[in-house]
Amino acid sequence: MGRVIVITSGKGGVGKTTTSANIGTALAKAGQKVILIDTDIGLRNLDLLLGLENRIVYTIIDVVEGRCKLKQALVKDKKNPNLCLLAAAQTRDKSALSQEQLKSICDELKEDNDFVIVDCPAGIEQGFQNAIAGATEAIIVTTPEMSAVRDADRIIGLLEAKEEIESYKLLLNRVRPNLVQSNDMMSVDDVVDILSCSLIGIIPEDIGVITSTNKGEPIVNDEQSLAGQAYQNVAKRIMGEEIDFLNLDEPKGVVAKIKKFFAGLFGKEQKA
Amino acid sequence: MENNGFVENGFIIDLGHAKDAAEIIYELSNILEMPEAKNKEICLKLGVINLSQSQLLSIKSLINSMVSELAFIDTDSEQTELAALNLGIIVSELSNEIEVTTPEIDAKEVEIKEIEVGTPKDGLSYELIETEPVEEEKIEVVEKSEEALKAEEKLEELIDEENEQVSEKEAATYEISKLPTLYLQQTLRSGQTMSYDGNILLIGDAHPGSEIIAKGDITIWGVLGGIAHAGARGNDFAKIRALKINAIQLRISGFYARRPDAMNIPFIQRSNEFTPEEASVNNKEIAIYKISER
Repeated sequence: MGRVIVITSGKGGVGKTTTSANIGTALAKAGQKVILIDTDIGLRNLDLLLGLENRIVYTIIDVVEGRCKLKQALVKDKKNPNLCLLAAAQTRDKSALSQEQLKSICDELKEDNDFVIVDCPAGIEQGFQNAIAGATEAIIVTTPEMSAVRDADRIIGLLEAKEEIESYKLLLNRVRPNLVQSNDMMSVDDVVDILSCSLIGIIPEDIGVITSTNKGEPIVNDEQSLAGQAYQNVAKRIMGEEIDFLNLDEPKGVVAKIKKFFAGLFGKEQKA
Repeated sequence: MENNGFVENGFIIDLGHAKDAAEIIYELSNILEMPEAKNKEICLKLGVINLSQSQLLSIKSLINSMVSELAFIDTDSEQTELAALNLGIIVSELSNEIEVTTPEIDAKEVEIKEIEVGTPKDGLSYELIETEPVEEEKIEVVEKSEEALKAEEKLEELIDEENEQVSEKEAATYEISKLPTLYLQQTLRSGQTMSYDGNILLIGDAHPGSEIIAKGDITIWGVLGGIAHAGARGNDFAKIRALKINAIQLRISGFYARRPDAMNIPFIQRSNEFTPEEASVNNKEIAIYKISER
């Protein structure tokens, strides 16, 4: 019996889909059987991030409307046979799916898989309600910005009101240690204090995420990248391992020098 | 000109999006004023809206006053259905669904429902023209150019085999040439679908995420970036043409090809120079041929 985890945030653009793709890939790399469900009907993106856009024939809407079987709609990942994607339809909207339908899909999928990860759309309307319908766990993605934290707070309230959600964890995305040090960005502790919610991961801002998105290759496949490592650690924590958070405060070595160099350049430009 | 479309034996008017009876009557009167709508058997799609007997009666008399006849209606509302039955109006399922032979992945057969002969759901309006059958000369040109190009770049390695079923091909190509053609002048954006029981001619780009499904050929004067399904009712000799084929997936009849992963860039590559391309089924696989200058 697998676990159904919904990745949600309330605010758009904080990295729900990126997180879903990376956690899913990381879990699959660790040998778990994972299904990723994109519930963002009409604005699907998860397939792009995984580079599976060209393989989609059937979508979740085809499944609920009985045009195909659930198994036929699962798109296998290019590299990892443990990972499958259930894509959203692009030509419909959120009303095409109901909570009961998604719940029965989740229930069916968790029979044969270790993890079912549901990528939630932004907002708190029907799309969100659908996405959390089948889930028993939630990961709330937020960034260290007031607007994202406020929306995350709202989401936590909604999740707490839902009995089926047994546990929820916070994932802090796009943290920039140098900005935190100079007091220009909320620190991890600030966010945790405001939301009073336990953390499952801290992901540093990483330019590699942008290129990986465009290439259709999740960043966890890049062992060198800090964000990739952070996502791998999140996956391990989901599987129950105890792993310390990456130390982002004092970056050492070549990376730090390069970062400083660029920061210097940037500063000069701003002055000019 | 909102929603309408030709069927062989009549005229379907899709008013499924209308919110109340007044809107239905307003739109209907607009559509019926068009010369194409005169002397036709009108088939009305009414969607979920509830109509009373008197409202239906006024719709019927409106149609009669425009020298047409109400053949039957299609409705999802029980109340409307009941009212229609009381008035002696035939209630029927409109049979404008296209049965699609599905690409082989695991699937055997699927049906794409809700394919409207009218407008897509986004409410795009477009013109519909009935074309004369393409003259034989034109067909020959297509075939010649295809032959000349066989050596050109291909999506997948193909072994050239002599075409045994020349007569079958000719028949299928002729059948396509006789289909009506939908003429569109717009950009088809992500999420928009275009389905038609005939050929589709699109002047403009089809962006990734869009879908074009046609019974016959699909011709695009622009970049094809989305999904195109030609010969959707099972014509293996249907063709997909575009100035640049950058499609995520190509489907012809029951065949299916996807963009190579190396090319899987989620945006359209723009260039100033286009070499028109044509995709067709060759040796049970879909291949793209460049149409060289003649």
